[in-house]
Amino acid sequence: MPESNNQRITSVGIDIGTTTTQLVISQLTIENTASGSLVPHVEITDKEVIHRSQIYFTPLIDRDLVNAVAISKILESEYKAAGLSPEMIDTGAVIITGETAKKENAKAIIDALAGFAGDFVVATAGANLEAIFAGKGSGAALYSSERHQVVVNIDVGGGTSNYATFFEGKAVDSSCINVGGHLIEFERHGDRITYISEPAKIALQITGQRLQVGERVTLPQLRPVVQAMAASVVEVLKTPLHSDLTQKLLMTPPLQLGHQIRKVMISGGVADYVYAENQPTTMTEVTAFGDFGPLLGWELKASLKSAGFVLEKPNETVRATVIGTGTQSVNLSGSTIHLQETTLPLRNVMVVSPFSAIIPETPLKIAEIIRNEIIRLQMDHSEGVVAIAMKGPRTMSFSDINSLAQGLLLGLQDYIVKDKPLILVIEADCGKVLGQCVHASANRLLEVICIDQIEVDNCDYIDIGKPLMGGRVVPVVLKTLVFNR
Amino acid sequence: MGVENNELEKVIIQSVMEELARKGLLSQKGKDHMMSAAMMDTPIVPNLQSEEMVTFPPQEEMQIANPFNADAVRAMKKLTPARIGIGRAGTRPKTMSLLRFLADHAVAQDAVFLDVSEEFLQRMNMMSVQSAAASKDEFLQRPELGRRLSEEAAKSIAEKCEKNVQVQILIVDGLSSSAIEANIPDLLPALMQGLKSSGIKVGAPFFIKNGRVWVQDHVASIVNCDVVISLIGERPGLGTAESLSAYMIYRPDENTVEADRTVISNIHKGGIPPAEAGAHLTDVIKQILSAKASGVKLNQQK
Amino acid sequence: MILKAKVYNKIFAFQSLKEVMSKANEEKSGDELVGIAAKSASERVAAKLVLSNLTLEDIYNNPVIPYEEDEVTRAIYDGLNLRIYQEIKSWTVGYLREYILDHKTTGENLLHISRGLTSEMIAAVAKLMSTMDLVCGSKKLRVQSHCNTTLGIPGTLAFRCQPNHPTDSVEGMLASLKEGLAYGSGDAVIGINPVEDNVETVSRLLDTVKNFMIKWEIPTQNCVLAHVTTQMKAIEKGAPVDLVFQSIAGTHKANDAFGVSAAILDEAFALAQRKGSATGPNLMYFETGQGSEVSLDAHLGVDMMTLEARTYGFARGYRPFMTNNVSGFIGPETIYSGREVIRADLEDLFMGKLHGLPMGIAPCYTNHMKADQNDQEMGTLLCAMAGSNFFMGVPGGDDVMLSYQDTSYHDDASTREILGLRPLPEFEQWLEKMGILENGKLTERAGDPSIFDK
Repeated sequence: MPESNNQRITSVGIDIGTTTTQLVISQLTIENTASGSLVPHVEITDKEVIHRSQIYFTPLIDRDLVNAVAISKILESEYKAAGLSPEMIDTGAVIITGETAKKENAKAIIDALAGFAGDFVVATAGANLEAIFAGKGSGAALYSSERHQVVVNIDVGGGTSNYATFFEGKAVDSSCINVGGHLIEFERHGDRITYISEPAKIALQITGQRLQVGERVTLPQLRPVVQAMAASVVEVLKTPLHSDLTQKLLMTPPLQLGHQIRKVMISGGVADYVYAENQPTTMTEVTAFGDFGPLLGWELKASLKSAGFVLEKPNETVRATVIGTGTQSVNLSGSTIHLQETTLPLRNVMVVSPFSAIIPETPLKIAEIIRNEIIRLQMDHSEGVVAIAMKGPRTMSFSDINSLAQGLLLGLQDYIVKDKPLILVIEADCGKVLGQCVHASANRLLEVICIDQIEVDNCDYIDIGKPLMGGRVVPVVLKTLVFNR
Repeated sequence: MGVENNELEKVIIQSVMEELARKGLLSQKGKDHMMSAAMMDTPIVPNLQSEEMVTFPPQEEMQIANPFNADAVRAMKKLTPARIGIGRAGTRPKTMSLLRFLADHAVAQDAVFLDVSEEFLQRMNMMSVQSAAASKDEFLQRPELGRRLSEEAAKSIAEKCEKNVQVQILIVDGLSSSAIEANIPDLLPALMQGLKSSGIKVGAPFFIKNGRVWVQDHVASIVNCDVVISLIGERPGLGTAESLSAYMIYRPDENTVEADRTVISNIHKGGIPPAEAGAHLTDVIKQILSAKASGVKLNQQK
Repeated sequence: MILKAKVYNKIFAFQSLKEVMSKANEEKSGDELVGIAAKSASERVAAKLVLSNLTLEDIYNNPVIPYEEDEVTRAIYDGLNLRIYQEIKSWTVGYLREYILDHKTTGENLLHISRGLTSEMIAAVAKLMSTMDLVCGSKKLRVQSHCNTTLGIPGTLAFRCQPNHPTDSVEGMLASLKEGLAYGSGDAVIGINPVEDNVETVSRLLDTVKNFMIKWEIPTQNCVLAHVTTQMKAIEKGAPVDLVFQSIAGTHKANDAFGVSAAILDEAFALAQRKGSATGPNLMYFETGQGSEVSLDAHLGVDMMTLEARTYGFARGYRPFMTNNVSGFIGPETIYSGREVIRADLEDLFMGKLHGLPMGIAPCYTNHMKADQNDQEMGTLLCAMAGSNFFMGVPGGDDVMLSYQDTSYHDDASTREILGLRPLPEFEQWLEKMGILENGKLTERAGDPSIFDK
């Protein structure tokens, strides 16, 4: 078993948004940071972006459908520009955001990218995950831990604004509102409206404005509706009591506001206009990209300032989400785990968390809970692979771990006979001994994957990659994430 | 008796005052006032049955009055086990910091100076022998004595232990008896299960009192095993007195040096948990057996 | 040379000066372990009596380890000022004790004869001195040194801030550093013991501390206490090193075990002068401790105290900025009880100062010794009264990386206030600017590490 003390993996992040599509390729350094006589501790020690793509307009077939083939072309040319081939990509994520985050699109994109995005690239979506990636990519997460201040990052794109609150580097709250710079479209550098999206229609209606497709508008005519949208964005930061418009525009539950906000950062395509020195003074300036992004940015700044929020500049603006996606989507398991290498990688493993609180003491009771949960869920998902997720045994004693192993085997009897691997994901540091106990208790050969020190209770599916560092750890990608379930 | 008398007195006062109040000779407020005055004489008797007790506040509690950034102090406390954010009384530590320090030192000293209990050894059903160091004082001041077995110990090992096994496990108190009692009940069964299910032949584990790491060489020379592993208490810090190390060596002889030993340290509930360590050590022992080498020589083969 | 003495009705005869030196010692575990301690209280006094009558010349003529065999002996003899030695060689050790304690003898006088004293002579006189004798002698001696700031100015007491972390976490280290600075600790040096002795870790810690010093304009020096050769590699790679650290001992053999020699230290000193980041001229930081030669089995039958003096003889040629004594850290086989540590600390402080070294003391203890916090606080106050230039500063007194107890940030502030001592002048100004100190006392704001998190 070769045991080098560090390894590099290449990760790709692709962000397909309402307006733009981007890609970054980064190199993650994985290292054993434990000294001499300590049990290995493998972690990601460095993340370096080695290639940033151009910013493309998202290729569309029609207003709702993404042109997946065109996207695969973009990838092909960007890989070429970076001097990489798909086989050289180890991991990564595609994130489909904003208005494009629709089921048909996701399916088409996964199919089209199958051959281009390496062996282990997954599609993830969901407004909350997107918000967190953006906040990590913008630098808000790091800022919150370095300065010990609660920071909210708002990624304002073409169709949506995604909030993520960070406390000491960790996302603690997130939300999404249907406000973006591209909700009304114009002739470029012109003043004629070419498209009004549904959320924009709602905003127009509630603010009592009458604008129609084909009409020409002046800046004073456009300003009130943009101001109203900006005000809604800020309202979510201030109070849980929302105006009619805000309620209608919110796409997820609002922010819980459990932490007092010290700083606000804006990333996304509109961010550069938030931090601009001067406001747009003519319609030509507003519609430079065929939308009202510059005006929304300016109004957002004004609205934040008048509400007393302190704005901080992020490290990344328009690329925040894609950088976050490329560098932050991979998690590592603990460094003492139980594996069968041949089983990996595994994609779209459904996460089942049968234990609501403390795991019972006896194997029989444990088995009963698991059986009920499996029966309940297998009605919907008959053939998929399932991972049993749990916080940890009742206590960390050997006898409780052994009981847990026996209970799991008993409860999963019907599942195991289908020759499916037994996948256990546990938060406490006992993956190796739990795997050993399962092996010792099973009366036949069994494929067991038991990984630890990873939290999956907030997600629905995971991908488990091929082992790294001589089999010590596995990379895990979490898909979909919500806080206030 | 005093209590009973006092109770009686209270009843009398109460009924007298009730009567006065009923006759309008005493206001309700006056009655309350006099009653509470009467109560003050009641001696406070400690209730020995009570569950209430005095304990330390949680370690992570921030002890600084009006800090500039309380979140920052709390976050800093999470970044290090060091005693920071503990506030002060003048230039001196706060009472709880002082007492916690004394408690941690006391626990550390007890770990070093007290023996592993007989009750524990019986519960684990382990044979117990002693190094050549007769007392803790001798053990601490004369390191060479803890590195070999007493004559009696050598004899009983020769008589009672199985010879020519693949692995011999030793439990050695070293500098912390507490580490033995805290970790062995979960570590040992995990290690035994792992070794046995891998088909490795293991001798019955036994305990060595007042032992140091090198005593394993003496044992190996008697039982003639391939690998000898010592689970030995580490020198306690104030953070934990329960940390255990595992020292493993493949067939030690007179030319053995320190670098020939493979070491896994920091085994305790705050480091690598003992049960998980047992499973990990199984893997390490398997590597040593297949490489027929330990320590630096093992690392060179990897 | 008379090696026989009569204590009342008992006669004691000794074979060599080396034997007299070891048996004249106060009780210590390490001398017992080696088997060279006095067998009885009377024998101990007899040895002191013999020693008091020996001349400095007797000691000069009988080095405990031969010149030809040992680099440390050579450093001591080669560095001696022969003119001064000639003037005092006829003094007995007993006379030397009285000369040191005499009211007419000043610190300046002592630093003058220091240059004519070998380490063994200094050890010998200290063996005749009681606790209060050692404090009186030490207090007279004031040795100043300069790196970025000046250490040892009368009326000041400095501290090394020691923000160690069990996994070398930079953020964790900074947290402890901020706490220490908020108590006024860190004017001697900000010095970190790394877990991992490699160039990457050492450079990362050095850079972090230096950047913090620059950002907050802190007038002090930085140091990472890795092996000297690791620090030299870090300097070559551009890391900012103000002070070069090394542990040293009193025999050639023990220094071999530490992986150091005069040649390596010469090279390190030269490199610090050429590529170090400090002003100087004093650029070295040494740590020593009674018993290190015993635990390395490199004592050659010489007692721990004499070997400690020889360590100072080796150190003084490098004109260190600071020399710190950690006798309480070595282990119970050398120093077992609180009483033994306090005695060793006072001996070492005195012997170091009489060598002309800028001495500091770590009156510390480990958990496998019979010593506790009360012993440590007594040791600290005694050493402070004896004019130690500096102590350590450890959060809450508990070093979470080295697992031992040393003076806390609280002790640092307390010792200054009890004895009316001030931080080093530049550092005091900085503390006042930060609102941590006012008129030599901690302010309301002091003790809050988050003042650095605006």
